[in-house]
Amino acid sequence: MSQVSCCDCSKTVSGGEAYESNGKVYCAPCVQAAAERAKAAGQPVAVARYVDKSICARCNTYIGEGGGIAVGNARLCPGCSERVQDWPYPQWLKLSLAGLLFLLAFALLHGRKYFQAGKDLYRGEQLVEKGRYQEALPYLKATMKLAPNSDKGALLTAKAALLSGDVLTAAKVLESHDNGRFENADKPEFQEVKRLWNNANAAFDKLEKAGKLEAEDGHEVEAAKLVHEAVAIYPQIPQANILVDEYDEGVAFAKKDYDAFLALAERDWNLLQASRTAAMISSALACKYAVSGEAAYRQRSEEMLAKAKELAHGDKESLDRLAEFEERNRYRLDSRQILSKTEYDKKFRSTKNTGK
Amino acid sequence: MFFIPGQVIALLTFPGVIIHETAHLFFCKLFKLKVFNVCFFRFGNPAGYVIHENSENFTAQFFVSMGPFVVNTVLCVVFCTAAFLPVWELKVNDPLAYFYYWLGLSIGMHAFPSTTDLSHVWKAAPPLAKKGNLLAIVSLPLSAVLVVLNYGRVIWADLGYGIAVGVLGPIAIFRALARM
Repeated sequence: MSQVSCCDCSKTVSGGEAYESNGKVYCAPCVQAAAERAKAAGQPVAVARYVDKSICARCNTYIGEGGGIAVGNARLCPGCSERVQDWPYPQWLKLSLAGLLFLLAFALLHGRKYFQAGKDLYRGEQLVEKGRYQEALPYLKATMKLAPNSDKGALLTAKAALLSGDVLTAAKVLESHDNGRFENADKPEFQEVKRLWNNANAAFDKLEKAGKLEAEDGHEVEAAKLVHEAVAIYPQIPQANILVDEYDEGVAFAKKDYDAFLALAERDWNLLQASRTAAMISSALACKYAVSGEAAYRQRSEEMLAKAKELAHGDKESLDRLAEFEERNRYRLDSRQILSKTEYDKKFRSTKNTGK
Repeated sequence: MFFIPGQVIALLTFPGVIIHETAHLFFCKLFKLKVFNVCFFRFGNPAGYVIHENSENFTAQFFVSMGPFVVNTVLCVVFCTAAFLPVWELKVNDPLAYFYYWLGLSIGMHAFPSTTDLSHVWKAAPPLAKKGNLLAIVSLPLSAVLVVLNYGRVIWADLGYGIAVGVLGPIAIFRALARM
């Protein structure tokens, strides 16, 4: 650093210890007095560190008095001036930024499957929030294929499945999720699914018991009561109305109230035109024929049985059940004797079949 | 609350420091301000800096000061978005996703402009805000919040901001996408 002389006291000081005020150079002790004088005289007071304009302010290269290029209060050599005017990005930075862009492009490419799964997850979540559980299920199932350990995905899928009556899907998702373990069992989402799951299991226990009771004569009322309870606990049981009606039809049959039996069977048929509801009407009409002898009932019973067969077309299980029923119904129509399945089996069939 | 020296944090999150200083430099160049020195990363306080001339132009001052806040926030959202689903929602063990999340959070953590940068904006904004300059009006509450957050660094406000942006940003993006 060069030596400069204070314009007040003429003392020689190094440039680093000098100050400038209103274009004059001062040493440290004099600059304050000079500033006060300027203030008293109403002149502007601007004090700055002295900048030696004979050397470049950046690289200290000697540029001579008036040499170089002025940048603010300082002077710079041509090289530094060019750099200061347009500071270049270092090569390593350019390469790093290019690498960053490449990483980003790769991340987007690599993450496509995640984006799709995430989109499905959020779409499913929105549908669940709107109560459109069945619509949500395909989206959530697609997410679970890629991410079976996602807490959110598993809970949403289980919830949507349980509220759609699809207990099997719920069971599958919950069991395959990290061996049934969840990060936070206190979360309301977890508690909600747990409550739904417990309700569904309790309901299906009751349905199982009802099924066993129904196979035995004399327990129709008890069986129907269990089914009503099951539906009250878990209303999402598939075709719950029809299930309840079918058990109520059993009660009506046991009480020999064939008008009620027929009314319930016809209501179910209006709700669901399927092989099993058609067979129920056929059975009720056969009972009505047996007690009244009116040919119209017999004719309609046979028509509904034909309809049941037509609707069961290709379904082996339904066809087998219909074949068993047709034999009993034929006997009811021909003999005008009303036997329950248990009674019929006891009377005519050597092998015991407890199925409905 | 636990204490980790700033230099260690800067080292662990060095990409954020580099991006922060690059953003300062970018806006200086954009507004043709003279740059006297640049340090993209060092073991010291501050971990990086850009020394540039002051500008009378408030727009230039605003963008040079706030540039890193915008750039780091956007890049944090972008990188965290690329990693958010496998890490947070899908729980897929993908090492690449964790790398992107580290990168995103590192960048997000260094989004806050320094108090020196903010003080320039804070001083210049009021007279312009009185004249109805929209940028100046916006900059006042923004600077105030950022100053508070800057002081909040001692209680990990910078990490909190990175996580908030890196989690809430992608959630907003994917929720919007799901509606399309």
